[in-house]
Amino acid sequence: MALDVDLLDSGGTGLRRVARVLGAESSRMTDVLSVPGTSPRPLPTEGSPTGGSSALAIDVRGVSKRYATIQALSHVSFTVPSGEIVGLLGPNGAGKSTLMKSILGLVRPDLGEIRVLGHEVREDPVAIKRLVGYVPEAPALYEFLTGAEYLDFVADMYGLPREVRSERIAQFLAGLELAGHENALISSYSQGMKQKVALSAALAHRPRVLILDEPLNGLDPRSARVTKDLLRNLARHEGVGVVFSTHVLEIAEAICDHVVILRHGEVVASGTVPVLRAQAGLAGSGLEEVFLALTGTGDLSDVVAALSH
Amino acid sequence: MAVAATLIAGVMFELTNASRFSSSDAANWLPLSPAEYVAASATAISYSYSPGIALLLGAFLPVTLAVGVPATFALTAFLTVLGLVEGAVLVEMVRSVVQRTGSLGAGRFARLVIVLRAVLLIGLILIFDLAFNPVIILGFIREATAFEWITSAIPLFWSTRALAEWSAGSSALAGAFAAGQFVFLVLLVYSAGAVRARFWVPNPAEVAEIAPAVRPGHPYLAAVGLSGPEAAIASKDLRGFVRRREMLPTLVIPVVLLLLLAVEGSMFGRLGSILWVGWVVGFFALLLSVTSIGQERRALQSLYAYPITGRNVLRAKAASILVPTLVAAFGMPIVVSALFGLPLRALGGFIVACAAAAVVLAFWGLAFAARYSDYQDRPRPQYLRPGAMVGALASGMVILFSILVPATYAFLAPAVSQAVVGFAIGSGGIAIAAGALAFFWARSGFDQLFRQLPF
Repeated sequence: MALDVDLLDSGGTGLRRVARVLGAESSRMTDVLSVPGTSPRPLPTEGSPTGGSSALAIDVRGVSKRYATIQALSHVSFTVPSGEIVGLLGPNGAGKSTLMKSILGLVRPDLGEIRVLGHEVREDPVAIKRLVGYVPEAPALYEFLTGAEYLDFVADMYGLPREVRSERIAQFLAGLELAGHENALISSYSQGMKQKVALSAALAHRPRVLILDEPLNGLDPRSARVTKDLLRNLARHEGVGVVFSTHVLEIAEAICDHVVILRHGEVVASGTVPVLRAQAGLAGSGLEEVFLALTGTGDLSDVVAALSH
Repeated sequence: MAVAATLIAGVMFELTNASRFSSSDAANWLPLSPAEYVAASATAISYSYSPGIALLLGAFLPVTLAVGVPATFALTAFLTVLGLVEGAVLVEMVRSVVQRTGSLGAGRFARLVIVLRAVLLIGLILIFDLAFNPVIILGFIREATAFEWITSAIPLFWSTRALAEWSAGSSALAGAFAAGQFVFLVLLVYSAGAVRARFWVPNPAEVAEIAPAVRPGHPYLAAVGLSGPEAAIASKDLRGFVRRREMLPTLVIPVVLLLLLAVEGSMFGRLGSILWVGWVVGFFALLLSVTSIGQERRALQSLYAYPITGRNVLRAKAASILVPTLVAAFGMPIVVSALFGLPLRALGGFIVACAAAAVVLAFWGLAFAARYSDYQDRPRPQYLRPGAMVGALASGMVILFSILVPATYAFLAPAVSQAVVGFAIGSGGIAIAAGALAFFWARSGFDQLFRQLPF
């Protein structure tokens, strides 16, 4: 499989390394991921940590979740096809994080069904977790471990063979510019460095599905660019299904194939950015205007005026 | 006493809380001078410890009213509050210096810093134990106040002198010493401000040791039957024990209690010493296990995201608790047996009883931890909800002594008799029954816990 040379050149050597380790050199990686464009990947089976493929990476149907008096999710349905990046947008408290945790099985919905690569999450959560990489909204890492120890720990969790993990960890450390800091305790890291460790931990086992809750938080421009290009590369060339939440609408517009907008736990809009523009009646507008119109927070001039005084 | 109590409690807190709570980064960008920060922080520390002082003064008030010396009470209360604040300001000075020292504790000096911190903590706990022994503290004050020049020269004694002069009817001298004490406090605040400006580092580094990027697995943990992920979790927890300073008080407990036994052991006798050691081992196991889930705090969600089950986590947690606990269960009986010249049969029984107590209490604590852990980030982490902590400790102690007392009778008996065998079987039976109950209760708790993220 050929690398996307333009993308790699824009990201420089680090991206080249990360892309390589994540599967661009598919002949070396057939133990973990199958080659895109070949026969369909089999569904995950018992004892098969690598699992296989399904046209739908994620299928969420009618999911509801209530916390005491708060209806966090209400009859949410959407799909993430393999090889696509779906952006989850919504104001704070819209239910994005709850939805992402539900997809991974960290939260049990009251109603509805969630399938990841064809498997119902509640039936075989361990097999599904082997195929998924997750970055939570606020990664809580073990701060008493060094960056390298943490990645080694995560590699143990996913049963990554020792003969490949050293190289893979080293590639991530270099690609995300953590090399030289790997033996410092995570407690001494900046927020951006912690985010890089969390991203590396989510990607190192070469997951088939990525659930990323604001993954670019705190990243420097170079690392953010590396991450965005890497996600595109993984989706397009490796068939990884990505669900991605962000508050930075330019990022969503730039990398998402499809956008789902949540408000008060409900899907208020879903589609490609041009479809959403049409839905909002704002042809030619940016995603920010579309988002504000669809979430009912369009006219903010009064708020700005009040805060200005 | 107020100064000593605040100082020791405050410094102990400073040595044992998590580093991120030691950083007062906001104070670096808010418009505050070092002296203002010290004054504010010392006030907060004083407020934290004020309930103890209030209780003491509250108990003292009716006595003073009954004997008709309300003015003495007022002076005592004023001077006690001054002492409380003085202790808090001294804590601030120690804190500034400790942060700088902590920030140096990386790289090749890391292990030395860990050991020094542990030694300092053990010393402080022993001092704490002695300082609150009324016989010792009152004796010290009596000795010191016998020499007027000592108490006149050392400002920390001026409160005592003021009260002594007041009681002797010399109100002018009493007023002078009390005023001197107040002036001393003001000077102390400014000195603490200068110390903070000189030594403060905004973000203290944790102790770090150089480690290779990828370790060659966990052969010892794998050898006891743990899977790769289980061994990784256990290994991570064991590293956390020595690297997280909030865990230090828990880890030094066996050492401190053994030292207390050495210092005050003559009171205990042979039977008391053996039960004391058995209690220390069981208590240590219980303490490690009840805190084992809560100490994960928000990072617990990482474990949920990995392809592991609750039972994997249970096995890993049990291993990480039993490694240090069984070391104590084997080591401490050997030390005590040497002290008291116990025969080999008694030593064997002692070790078996301690090891059994450790295993049972470890699973008992895990059952509570799975159900009632507290995941909040606090400067003084509590790991388990307070009611559950009381329940775990109370029930754990009942189980512990139900195992230990008959076992001790059996292995200390000079000859094997029917009664001795009966006690041994009884102790073993209780251990097996309680152990089975604890194990199944812990297992169902972990199954339940890992169904859904608890926060």
